[in-house]
This record gives sequence, structure tokens and C-alpha cells, in this order.
Amino acid sequence: MSPTAPRAGRVVAVTGACTFLGGELLRRLEEDPTCEHVLALDVRPPPLGPRAGGKVEFVKIDLTQPTVDGELATLLERHQVDTFVHGAFLSHPTHAIEWAHELEDVGTMHVLNACAGVEPRRFVMISTTLVYGAHPKNPNFLTEDAELRGHRDSRFVNDKLRAERQVQRFAKEHPNVEVCILRFAPILGPTVSNMYTRFFSRPIAPVMMGHDPLMQFVHEQDAAFALAQAVRSNATGAFNIVGKGVLPYTTVLALLGRVPVPMPQLVARQVSKLLWATQLVGSPPSFLDFLLYLCVADGAKAKRELGFAPRLSIKRTILDFLGVAPEDGATDVARAQA
Amino acid sequence: MTDDDDTPPDADDWYGEADPRVPDASAVDFGLLGDDIYLGEEATIPAELGGSHVPSRGHREEAELRELERRMEQQRTPAFPIDLRRRLPLEGVWRRWRALAMWGRSDVVDDFGRDPRATARWEWLFEFLYSRWFRVEARGLEHIPSRGRALLVANHAGSLPYDSAMVMHAVRRDHPSRRDVRPLVEDTVFHLPFLGPIMNRIGGVRADPENAERLLRKDELVAVFPEGEKGMGKLWKDRYRLQRFGRGGFVKLALRTSAPIIPVAVVGAEEAAPMLGKVTWFAKNIGIPWIPVTPTFPWLGPAGLLPLPSKWYVQFGEPIDLAQAHGPAAAEDRLLVNRLADQIRTQIQQMIDSLLSQRRSPVLSAFLG
Repeated sequence: MSPTAPRAGRVVAVTGACTFLGGELLRRLEEDPTCEHVLALDVRPPPLGPRAGGKVEFVKIDLTQPTVDGELATLLERHQVDTFVHGAFLSHPTHAIEWAHELEDVGTMHVLNACAGVEPRRFVMISTTLVYGAHPKNPNFLTEDAELRGHRDSRFVNDKLRAERQVQRFAKEHPNVEVCILRFAPILGPTVSNMYTRFFSRPIAPVMMGHDPLMQFVHEQDAAFALAQAVRSNATGAFNIVGKGVLPYTTVLALLGRVPVPMPQLVARQVSKLLWATQLVGSPPSFLDFLLYLCVADGAKAKRELGFAPRLSIKRTILDFLGVAPEDGATDVARAQA
Repeated sequence: MTDDDDTPPDADDWYGEADPRVPDASAVDFGLLGDDIYLGEEATIPAELGGSHVPSRGHREEAELRELERRMEQQRTPAFPIDLRRRLPLEGVWRRWRALAMWGRSDVVDDFGRDPRATARWEWLFEFLYSRWFRVEARGLEHIPSRGRALLVANHAGSLPYDSAMVMHAVRRDHPSRRDVRPLVEDTVFHLPFLGPIMNRIGGVRADPENAERLLRKDELVAVFPEGEKGMGKLWKDRYRLQRFGRGGFVKLALRTSAPIIPVAVVGAEEAAPMLGKVTWFAKNIGIPWIPVTPTFPWLGPAGLLPLPSKWYVQFGEPIDLAQAHGPAAAEDRLLVNRLADQIRTQIQQMIDSLLSQRRSPVLSAFLG
């Protein structure tokens, strides 16, 4: 239960250092006395706070380059990397599907190629609960050993799913490496930006007429804490990182003050296809399935084995997200109450 | 209405105290660091604009002052859209809209989606159906434990699940401890537009072994209708003849969670929606397994979906403790599970038959009671 570092002064390498979770992890590692050196791997230097000490070293690594695995391997060898955190995944769906595939699926292959030779002590991967997929047969709470269904035509989800399958195979082939996969529920919060925060920032939101699935989120601070905890602890396997409680989708919209637009399924799919094709919205048509069916994960295993329990409820998470998104017609909650 | 318009978000801190493992994470991460970064980035803006010099750490205070001044100017002369929003009463409209949107729903639901406020909102309808329309007579409610888990096993009939609603309402209304029953709803009904979400809000849970086990381990009362879709699809000529009890999943569940099984016989539901025939043509296209043909549907349109006012009896039987008799390991014994399932089916059939034999004439007393 008590997470202890095996030896003082370890070296952590983080891919995707410019993502929200990567940046939060860098900040937390800066303050962690057991951590000696941090390699921030990304295509551009991460924005560090002015208080940043000298721990973080930026190394430009582009996972879409064909020979990046050799580069990574020499880097890991030279710095004696103890823990590798792989978080170079997209938070928004993109139209550049070829590039996304190179980055997420093939990029993970490069990372694993490098790690297979060097064998760091610990490997932490950032994944999402979207890989379970929204399916009519899903139980109310998906445990970690549930089947990963992905989505039949979502590149955004399936690239992550393929990356996760590779990491699971790697874990089987390299029993010396502690492999830990964190599946985050959609992250909401005042500073994070991803598909869900964009979706909920719009004043109107589509509702699949007559359907109202339960939804689950995790607060950005809880998510960042969970990642830091996973880097510190010795737990292995997959973990769902989820917030407290669930709410129906329409209640989420009501709490956010967004105007629900009920649409029959056929209409919604066509409209969504059109909006996606014209690049007017950032959520692909396949996302509509997540407004139809449940995709809620169970966080009991993370609490038991990882020592992570969320601090903030779903309502608090939503209000916190709302509080600092005034530019889209939402109100600053604190200001409204003053 | 919800309280979030009147109270600060911190006031309803029902999710507990701050986690001792994280020493005041919010103060560190949200406040100080975030502000520092923000100011730091803003401080370089004059350099970009003027392009002459980059303020070093020594110039920082000056930069902060300039930034403050700039913000104050902005407050006084805001950019166009912000100005518009301040002038128009959109803020108030938006807050009212939020309050209106939360009408009839609460901002906290339980793990399986039961919304206490939505439940209370539909209460009158169930009360009307229970006491006026079906004139339900519930017997043997004393067999339901006032606390602890139990599995209610009932027969199923009718094109819409009125029987599960009436079993739920009977326990909530007439049992001394007013317990909530969580009925398991089969997929075809659970994913029906409009009806499915409503059933979920008032306590229905999708029939799934994992869900049922989770509920029983939380010491809830779970109602299961093992006939499932076949029970709902019975024709009038097969009324009150129990169909196969699934694959005995409910027996496995009771054995694994050592929950007692309470057999329940519901009489009257068959007459409420007598199905004369069913049309499977075109039904799959609109997402349902069949279109029922009753004396009123589809002839009267949607009004034909209303149940006929038959007289109902709900009989709760004595609890059967399978786990005590056979042990939880028996859940793996397929032959035993099937035998037990059939045993319970026979018992419910007997309960139904004895209720039916108390009726004087088969058709008239089905409605007059």
C-alpha cells in the first residue's frame, strides 16, 4: 500500500510531456525528492513553471520518425532510465488519421522496441476507458478484465486500443518490467483540454432522442494524482482511474446549462457526419455511440492495489469545469455567487 | 431546485474531507503555480509587441505592474462580445435556464442511475395504477426481510413491464420497512427509447449477471423475471403457463451471493394486456422484437398501449435459502442449477394456479375481482 521508491535518485522518462497529464507529472516529479532526473520527451519543450528546478531535461523526440526507436534506446541506456511513462496520445480526434496512427500505434511500437532492449524497471502507459467502447451489452461497471471492444469505426479509439494491446503483449514477454496501464475516464477540469471539454464547452449539445446513458468523469487533479501515484507505486496491470459517482447525460447537460438538442438516431448520425466532414465540430460521428450506451468503469481495483481513490465527486468536477470556462457563454460560478 | 445557485460549491462537500495523502494539492496546483505561469507568460508579451527586450527576472515586478494596469484598462473598456454580455441580461437567463433544466431531476444519482427526485415524480402514477386501476392485493409481504439481500423471482407477462412496477410499488408501499426493489430489466425494454431511461431513473437495472451480483452484494432487494422476453411474448392461449426459466442464472446468483430466493406470483398481468397475436414483420426495423396485437392495440393507436383494468394479486412466497442447503460452490454444478431452477419454476406455477382457482369465473372475475 505505501508506495516506496526502490532506490533514491531514480530517472523518469516521459513521452508526451506537453500533454496535460505529462505536464502535471513533470511538475509533481520536480517536487518529488526520490526522483533525480526527468527526461521530457516531446516534439516541443513543455511549458514549465518559473519555479522549475533543474531536474527536467527536454529531449526532442518525434515518435512518428521511422528510426526513433534506436534514438530512444540510446537515450534510455545513457540516462539509466528507471521508469518510462508513455503518454504520447492524442486528446482530440483529428482528421489527420494517418499521422495519428503513426503517432499512437506505430509510436507505441517504437517505444516498446526501445524498452525491450533496455528493460526499464517500470513502464506506465496512459490509456482511456473509451477503449472498452460504448456497447448495449456493457454492465453498469466495467472491471479491468472486461473485453476491450473499442469502436468499430473510430480511429481515435482504435489506435489507442491497438497501442494498449501492444503494451499488454510486451508485459507478457518481459516479466522483469513492471507494466502498469492507467485507463482514465474522460478528464474534466478548469485547465485540461480534450474532446469532452470541447464538446461540453459548446452552448448546445446533441441528445439521442429517448436515450440517456450514465456518464462518468474524473477531475483533472485526481487524474494527475493517480498518474503520479502509479509512477511511485509498484502495482502492475491495468487500472481504471475514475471519479466518484455517475450522472445521466441529460443531467450533466442541465448542470452545465447547455441546451440539449434531441435528435433521432438517423438524423443525428447524418448531421454529425456532415459537421465532422466540414470540420465544424471536433467529435466524430462514432462518438454518438457514447451518448447512446453506457461506458462506465469500476475504480475499485485502483483503490485496492494502487492506493488511488478520487477526491472529487462528479458534480463537483462538472462545476469546477464550468467555473473557468466563461468564454463560451458559461458563467464563472464564483462570480455568479458573489 | 438545486442548491448550486445559492451556495458556494464548497458548501456541499458531501464527498468527504480532503485526502490526507495529498497535502493541500488544490492550493498548490490551482493557485500559486497556475498564476505564476500565467503571469510569466504574459510578462513576455510586451517583448513580443515591442520586440526590443525580453524582461528578465529583475524586470518581473515591473512587468507585473504593467500587466495589472493592462487588465484594469480592459475591465474599463472591454472588448465587444464581453461588453454585449454584460449589457444584456444573458447571465440571468442562463442561470434561470439551468434551474429550469434541473427540474424533476436530482444532481446525485446512485451507482445504477436511480434518481430519487425522478422516482418521487412518477410516484403518483404507480399509486394510481396500484390502488385504483389494478386494485392490487399483495399477500405474504412479511416474507420479505426488512434488511439484507434477497432475490425476488417472479413470472412475467404483458407487453409493457407493468408487473415489475407493481412488485416494486407493493414493497415500497405496503412493506413495513418501505424497501426499494431493484427490478432487472431485459435488454429489449431497457434500450427502448424514452421508456428505458425512465425505468433506469426509477430504479430499473439492465439484466446482467454482473449488475445483479453487484446489487446483491450491496444488500439490495433485486427482482428478476427469469422468463424474460419469452414471458412477455406469451400469447393469450398460453396465459399463466410459465416459460423456461432462462439458463438458471438466477440460481447461480443466489448460490454465489448466498441470497435467499423469494418466489413471487403475479396474477392479473395477462388480462391487462392480452396478446392475441404478434407481428414480427417490420418490428425489427423499429428496434423491438415484435409488434403486439391486443384487443386495443394497434387499433386505438398509442392509447391502445394502456393496460386493461384487470384485478391483480401479488403473492410473495416463503424465502428459499439455496446457499444454506447446497453451499456457494454448487453454482458450478450445472445439473443441480438447472434442477433448482425448475423446482422454483414449479413452485411459482403452483402459486399461480392456486390464485387462479380462487377466481369464480375465468373472464369476468379477472376484471371484477
